[in-house]
Amino acid sequence: MSRPISSDKTARDLHRLDTDGAEGSGPIVGGRHGKHDALPLMSGIDRYTDDITLPRMLHCKLVRSPHAHAKIIAIDTSGAEALEGVHAVVIGSEMPIPYGVIPWTPDEHALALHKVRFVGDPVAAVAAVSEEVAIEACRRIVVRYEVLEALVTPQAALARADLKIHEDNRHGNITKHVHLEFGDVDAALAAAALVVEGDYQFHGSTHAPIEPHCAIASVDGKGLLTVWSATQVPHYLQRELAKVLELPMRQIRVIQPAVGGAFGGKSEPFALEFCVAKLAFKTGRPVKCLYTREEVFLAHRGRHPFDMHYRTAFAADGKILAIDAKSLLDGGAYSSFGLVTTYYSGQLLGAPYRFPTYRFDSTRVYTNKPACGPKRGHGSVQPRFALEVQLDKASRTLGLDPIELRRRNFIGENSVTINGFHIGSNGFLQCLEAVVQASGWAEKWGKLPRGHGIGVAGSCYISGTNYCIYPTELPQSAVQMCLDRSGRVRVFAGTSEIGQGSTTMLAAIAAQELGVELDDVRVLAADSDLCPVDLGAYSSRITLMAGNACLTAARTLGDKIRDILAQLWGIPAADIRLEHRRAFSLTNPQVWMPIQEAFIITESKLGLLGSTGSYTSPQSAVHGDYRGGTIGASPAYSFTAHIAQVQVDEDTGEVTIEHIWCAHDCGHAINPVLVEGQIEGSVYMGAAEAVMEHHDTLPSGLRTDGRRRDSGPGVDGLLMASSLLDYRMPTSLDVPQLTALIVQAPDPRGPYGAKEAGEGPLHSAIPAIANAVFDAVGVRIDNLPISPEKVLRGLRNQAGRKPC
Amino acid sequence: MTETAPVDSTFLDTTAAEPTRARRLVICRLQVNGEGVAVVAPVHWTLLELLRYQLGLIGSKQGCDKGDCGACTVLLDGKPTLSCITLAVAVQGRCVETVEGLGVGGEPHPLQREFAERGAAQCGFCTPGVLMSAAAYLDELSSSAEPVVRQADIAAALGGNLCRCTGYTKIFEAVHAAATQILQRSKALADTSTDDAS
Amino acid sequence: MLRLPPFDVHLPDELGAALALLAKHGRQARPMQGGTDLVPNLKLGQTKLEHAVLLAGIDELHGIELDDGELRLGAATGLNALAQDPQVQAHLPALAFAASRIASPQIRSMGTLGGNLCLDTRCRYINQSELWRQALGGCLKSHGRECHVVPGGQGCVAALSSDTAPVLIAYGACVHIAGWQDSALVRRHIALADLYDSDGVRHLRLADAEIVTAVRVPLPSANVHVGYRKWAVRKSIDFPLISVALRLERSDTGSLLAGLLVVSVLGPRPRVIDLKALAGRTIDADLAKALGQMAFDRCRPLPNVPYDADYRRERLAVEVRRLCTEMLNL
Ligand SMILES: Cc1cc2nc3c(=O)[nH]c(=O)nc-3n(C[C@H](O)[C@H](O)[C@H](O)COP(=O)(O)OP(=O)(O)OC[C@H]3O[C@@H](n4cnc5c(N)ncnc54)[C@H](O)[C@@H]3O)c2cc1C
Ligand code: SF4
Ligand code: FES
Ligand code: FES
Repeated sequence: MSRPISSDKTARDLHRLDTDGAEGSGPIVGGRHGKHDALPLMSGIDRYTDDITLPRMLHCKLVRSPHAHAKIIAIDTSGAEALEGVHAVVIGSEMPIPYGVIPWTPDEHALALHKVRFVGDPVAAVAAVSEEVAIEACRRIVVRYEVLEALVTPQAALARADLKIHEDNRHGNITKHVHLEFGDVDAALAAAALVVEGDYQFHGSTHAPIEPHCAIASVDGKGLLTVWSATQVPHYLQRELAKVLELPMRQIRVIQPAVGGAFGGKSEPFALEFCVAKLAFKTGRPVKCLYTREEVFLAHRGRHPFDMHYRTAFAADGKILAIDAKSLLDGGAYSSFGLVTTYYSGQLLGAPYRFPTYRFDSTRVYTNKPACGPKRGHGSVQPRFALEVQLDKASRTLGLDPIELRRRNFIGENSVTINGFHIGSNGFLQCLEAVVQASGWAEKWGKLPRGHGIGVAGSCYISGTNYCIYPTELPQSAVQMCLDRSGRVRVFAGTSEIGQGSTTMLAAIAAQELGVELDDVRVLAADSDLCPVDLGAYSSRITLMAGNACLTAARTLGDKIRDILAQLWGIPAADIRLEHRRAFSLTNPQVWMPIQEAFIITESKLGLLGSTGSYTSPQSAVHGDYRGGTIGASPAYSFTAHIAQVQVDEDTGEVTIEHIWCAHDCGHAINPVLVEGQIEGSVYMGAAEAVMEHHDTLPSGLRTDGRRRDSGPGVDGLLMASSLLDYRMPTSLDVPQLTALIVQAPDPRGPYGAKEAGEGPLHSAIPAIANAVFDAVGVRIDNLPISPEKVLRGLRNQAGRKPC
Repeated sequence: MTETAPVDSTFLDTTAAEPTRARRLVICRLQVNGEGVAVVAPVHWTLLELLRYQLGLIGSKQGCDKGDCGACTVLLDGKPTLSCITLAVAVQGRCVETVEGLGVGGEPHPLQREFAERGAAQCGFCTPGVLMSAAAYLDELSSSAEPVVRQADIAAALGGNLCRCTGYTKIFEAVHAAATQILQRSKALADTSTDDAS
Repeated sequence: MLRLPPFDVHLPDELGAALALLAKHGRQARPMQGGTDLVPNLKLGQTKLEHAVLLAGIDELHGIELDDGELRLGAATGLNALAQDPQVQAHLPALAFAASRIASPQIRSMGTLGGNLCLDTRCRYINQSELWRQALGGCLKSHGRECHVVPGGQGCVAALSSDTAPVLIAYGACVHIAGWQDSALVRRHIALADLYDSDGVRHLRLADAEIVTAVRVPLPSANVHVGYRKWAVRKSIDFPLISVALRLERSDTGSLLAGLLVVSVLGPRPRVIDLKALAGRTIDADLAKALGQMAFDRCRPLPNVPYDADYRRERLAVEVRRLCTEMLNL
């Protein structure tokens, strides 16, 4: 069947249809391609959750608590039920089973059961013929509360062990405490040439994806529940739905339509998903709930505010001898991922620098505010800030270039961190070099005119965690693949595409391995009925884990095709290549056929061409052997270096970030366009939280019984910014120039060596900016955000100058 | 369960909610993407509700509820407009263009192609709004006497569209590329027509 | 999503008809132009109404004309039109600049001058959702009895955040108002500065059935210079957190003949400071400094809009100084 092809151009032209002119175009993996799924999304064709409308669909709205901390005495829903157009009302006691994304800390209820714990805690839900009727019905639900004192700072929450936000919590309001020590920290501190000591405050910020949370549920009469949700963890959603609704998982289908951004803000189940499901059962009709923007701010799970005390010891040559870290984490009303955050706050600091002794002590407390959770760079952005600022301070004191100080402390590749994490590939030095070159560091650092400054910082992040958040030996990712006679490749994966490009990544791997073009691959993702389980889009795990699973599945099929063609052509299978819609012999260019034909021949010989691939993380050479030693360990680590250049207006204290160069070691860039996009987006987000964004409640007085203090707004727990007007994310006119530089240090554990790009490039943007501000005007801002009034105060203290 | 055409019956019995309130249904007649439409909607509905829930034009998105984000941007008589805070009755008889009308005959608009190829859309949720603002910028550019593509103008034109994914970098690149292309094309056209004239 | 509460909408095409509707429905009706202020406030339940009277169809409210040494700006003039109009750019450049700094491109193509001048006052305790305000227990401007900005205060001090008001006051603008009395149209005009009252709940000195029809601005003579600066955190979208307009009348010798400093986003009305005391001084860097100090001494931003009030006060001094410095070379 081989179709000889001559070098004659006319002959080749004859085959153009089959090969579609792809001949000669570059590789798919590693090539600069667009985002696979972008066009239909941006044309109003593919649907996000709120774009879906089902027949007879009802609309759901939630009643939320106006108190930060209160007991629920009674709920009267009769007014709502009496309203025409209302089909059902649900309250907490109908879904009494607690849940939590971390199975060890189930402390949330779909709707508050006996107590509300922040302003906005949902207490009831209504399904009605329209959103408008549902809103009106919510107004008619009367909830009687007994108001309790609200604890809105972590210090207050610690001090008031008698006033528990969760009554059954063991230690007052402490949700998690981790203390780990490696080596003799105190001895190292005592013997050091220099100890840099300081307090650092990292403020809260939130994800603010442009798409608000939305969910739809429908039941089919035979008890099958389908939930469409703007989630980044469809699998965990399915599990928690099963738990709370007391249904077997097989009776629940979760579909994640296109998601309009998530960044960690959609990485656990939320009230709306349980409520629409319950209401769909109660009414027998589909029910949709779309959060308002304010509700997105209330759902939160954003960056934890940290109060940190850091001591870092150095030898005279700049080598780090010890790090002693103490952190207090403001967790908000629920645990969320908090157990993990508390570990991450210390566990993820172990690279890119080597240090022989390390101690961290982290305490997370409940407060009466929206719960904090994982935001891009989960748990490790805050400690990274403290450490990288301390390195800058040390370099100044020791008279070393901060780049040199970082080079000297480099941990190296194939190394083990002080807390036992095994680092494989490590491109950190190349990252440093890349930003130094691109920014012109040597001509700038310490040399720019006053008011202008440049700063550097480095960081490291994980490519997925080695262990699932629930104990299991099952694969963390899996892919099913199917080829058919049309020449198409179908990839079924549980992966969550949230804009980061997981669908494109899977398509690229399948296309590369099976010799088709990107558009010949159809990725069907995140539908629990159609796709194997994938744990979700968090901790930058998909490229490494699902990518590996996809690679396995694709190679299995590729091998089958090559085997059949080898028999057919009488050449070794190893000599056969599948590329750009052709199968051909490497040694004899005359021997080839269109890939579609290869699929057909193989299918006719072997039957339907399907395969599976699974990824289970490595079981050895990963982590330390101590309690908690597995948390935060990853199969592979990404590395990043940032240089920021800023201008500080000394009259106003305003910091303008002019340019940020970010070099990121992603292992291997499966699609450089998308990797750059992840770097740019991460740097943008980091810069935004460094200088502009702040998610917090208004500082306020106290109200326990309706009486107020003499000053202050008088009510605790009200969000300072709960709209996209007040929560100031940078506009197109506020964004600094961003330069994304890709560094590739392939890791043997990643597909084609790929690691991650989604979160790592955020971390060191923040300390790089803080360090640049110091370089510009000699002011250290150790409590974020770097707002003009703080800079101005710093300048005043420096100069003893008077206002104006 | 299958999905049907996204037509919402939301307004049918809102009278129940607040029976005392005056309330009217009106027929809104307008041009949407070049087609005349007449739709019945409650008089207090926004253009975004009309587009998404009455006409099934889901391309325009809702991100903030109240004018803060730009996800709902459409062109009203060619001018970028926030459909979430525009009353549908107020645009009677006027021309609305949404992202669904950007491409011609199934072919994506050059902006869309550039956005797709250059990774300027990540989650894609802000993108329809961004595209409409960019389209207004392109219109203004092509109608200006001496068109020059400037990064600063692009950034200013997109100043009302928040994007949380991209850091705007690739958006700027894509708009720049599309603008350059369109200018070149119109220049080439102008050149040939002057050739014809001479 | 946030839905608008139901209300009725009217689209009159004559001024008299609009006024008659407003008169008929009293407090339950309001005029609406671009709706960029009114619609968000309605969605948040902060403003309530039964009847929205859309003014766009009334010809008289449109147009920019030069008339008898004055520029007449119709209330329905769009903000972009204002920013880009050649006559405005030529005669009132600071107004064109101020208009170009409002909100975002979309809002500038929707919003109008009339709406901008009649913008509701803003405060972090009022521009919030119903839930938020319920949790707060309300305030003087909503259903409550206390002001949270000035505890114990008797009046609402929410801030006027219009970008065009201060600069138009500096230009000496006058607003033309039409009302409805005894079933007849009545007209009056007042200095723009007098449009504003000190009560943030009802900060416009307009009767229920009165609307602004136009603004008339005398063309400044060659020795009169007006400038405007706004400070906001972001370069787009944001309302001003401090805004200042400055009018300097220069003598032949370069000294100050007369002037006005208008500071806004303090409370419900812009603060107009007559510069009489500085008359005769040379217009130079020292004057800029003195003005900055004057603003600092005489104005005290309140914690009504977001951001640190003390910082806003310091920022105000810098903005005033910089504004004056910018104007030195004019
Ligand atoms: C995200 C966002 C950002 C913004 N940023 C800014 C900013 O930076 N600077 C700024 O100044 N504004 C800003 N605004 C507010 C607003 O968009 C503008 O002030 C705009 O000019 C209002 O005009 P409009 O025609 O849309 O007013 P409308 O909303 O139609 O009306 C505003 C108010 O004026 C009344 N009114 C309207 N016309 C008349 C009339 N002729 N006579 C009497 N009363 C009348 C209405 O009843 C209403 O109370 C912003 C708004 C949003 C949503
Ligand atoms: S100034 Fe006082 S009364 Fe007025 S809106 Fe603000 S808190 Fe309410
Ligand atoms: S949805 Fe209209 S501006 Fe955000
Ligand atoms: S691409 Fe996601 S918000 Fe812009």
